Amino acid sequence: MLSSQRNKLLCETGPGTPMGELLRRYWQPIAGVSEFDRLDTKPVRVMGEDLVLYRDREGSYGLVDRHCPHRRADMAYGFTEGRGLRCNYHGWLFDHSGACLHQPYEETRHPEGTFRDKVRIKAYPVTAKAGLLWAYLGPQPAPLIPDWDRYYSRGYKQIAISEIPCNWFQCQENSIDPVHFEWLHSNWSLVLRGADGPRAPAHTRLGFDEFDYGFVYRRVREDTTEDDELWRTGRVCLWPNCLYTGHFEWRVPVDDTTTLSVGWFIDELPGGAPFDQERIPCWQAPVRDEKTGRWIDTHVMNQDYIAWVGQGAIADRTLEHLGESDRGVIMLRKRMFEEMEAVAAGRDPLGTIRDPAVNERVHLPIVGGLNQPAAKDGPRPFVFLAGQPDEVRSELEQAWQQCAAAPAAG
Amino acid sequence: MAAVCRGARGRLTVTRTAGEPAAAAPGAYELAEARGYGLTAGDLRRWEPFSAIQVHWARKHGLSADDARRWAREGVGVRDAVRAVRLGMAPEQVRPWAAAGLPPGDAVEAAEAGMTLAEATAWLRVGFILPDAALLVRDGWTLAEADAARYAGVDRYAAAGR
Repeated sequence: MLSSQRNKLLCETGPGTPMGELLRRYWQPIAGVSEFDRLDTKPVRVMGEDLVLYRDREGSYGLVDRHCPHRRADMAYGFTEGRGLRCNYHGWLFDHSGACLHQPYEETRHPEGTFRDKVRIKAYPVTAKAGLLWAYLGPQPAPLIPDWDRYYSRGYKQIAISEIPCNWFQCQENSIDPVHFEWLHSNWSLVLRGADGPRAPAHTRLGFDEFDYGFVYRRVREDTTEDDELWRTGRVCLWPNCLYTGHFEWRVPVDDTTTLSVGWFIDELPGGAPFDQERIPCWQAPVRDEKTGRWIDTHVMNQDYIAWVGQGAIADRTLEHLGESDRGVIMLRKRMFEEMEAVAAGRDPLGTIRDPAVNERVHLPIVGGLNQPAAKDGPRPFVFLAGQPDEVRSELEQAWQQCAAAPAAG
Repeated sequence: MAAVCRGARGRLTVTRTAGEPAAAAPGAYELAEARGYGLTAGDLRRWEPFSAIQVHWARKHGLSADDARRWAREGVGVRDAVRAVRLGMAPEQVRPWAAAGLPPGDAVEAAEAGMTLAEATAWLRVGFILPDAALLVRDGWTLAEADAARYAGVDRYAAAGR
């Protein structure tokens, strides 16, 4: 249980809010690189800020204010040039740093004028990594984008993005809530399939550890012991807004009542021949069944979404009754409060990396290790989200077949 | 209470602790995990029965293997032990908590919030686990206020039922 004031502290991420200031100290994934195969500009909303993401013709990415500083036209309808994004209304051109490069009519009338030097558009840095576009909305100098070791595992990678109509923090609390697997994913799935049982093995013990980049949660169930990897290694609540279980699930606040769920997945491939994936596909995962109007409940992350949106647009934590299964959730909240205070005091918060020597294939705990065997008879069905496009499925199938047929690397 | 014994594989194991995993022979996977934290097989052996991530966290915060084991014997995991040492606590200080049937690591959480065992027990009696209570205490709640707020909605429905 929290007071409504403390709940607001956790949930509100707009500019100037304590949590907004904390989350702005980290690079946030906001789109897939491959989305720009077909797009030049994409309107995005990040932590309550309306922005436009674009790729110019030099291949540089930019993230600027949604509205032109001239007369507030929508920059999402602007057009990219060799360098920068030009407003479609009167042609003002801005680069990725926010500098105004051209004001056509002003410069015709006043060739020696300096008006454009005085005008800027709000702009944030964007960097491509692991098939994602990452934005940094905080103060300079920006930390490094973590170079997680999992990005380098051999396998077919894909990205899926969904927009969830609820606050980000209830999504992230799910990242440190082991017991929900037993009920939301195992037992409820049984019910959805029309089965009466047997029910999933019950959790009997939970444990938590801390490391440089978040928390690890560990569990023992009726069918496991402390020798099981679910206890020995556990899974990662990756700071500040991600779950890592071999794949990544970031929960990026769009605003206080909408969250961008960004999933990064990998399917191990057979054989040992080098596999080089030129392009990581990015697809939009639906959350609602268009036929019934109900939330989709067939896949793991869709089931999570149902729990999160069910808690309300912003979960009212003044009404909750926490118990033993919530120890991780409480630990997460406490740490969030501490890190908000750290930022307010001018310190770097948990998990920011500034040393390039540290930021090389940074290790994250993973059950089964980084190099896991591929499925034997072809790629496993995609269990995480509904709506995987046929072309992604067939590309994975093709990659799997090619790798299975290729001679092993000598 | 925790105990130190030889596990099924003949390896030193701290059992019945609240926060530590039992030891098993480190395999290739455990060694890979250890390398991820810059640890060697020798480090893992010296730090039995702790896992790589716990060894990393302990070393990072200056907690020795012997001290980590002393805390583990009292049922306190590495994460809590690091915090306890920071607060100047000694391992035996958690014994009254264990004797009262509370997770020994909760003694650390309580100490951070300035709560005594008696206070923690009082919060527990009305249904608050210690970490929840500690957050509320830090936020300035009294037990009476929290108790009333927590059950306000529930009591309303219970009264209607009656």
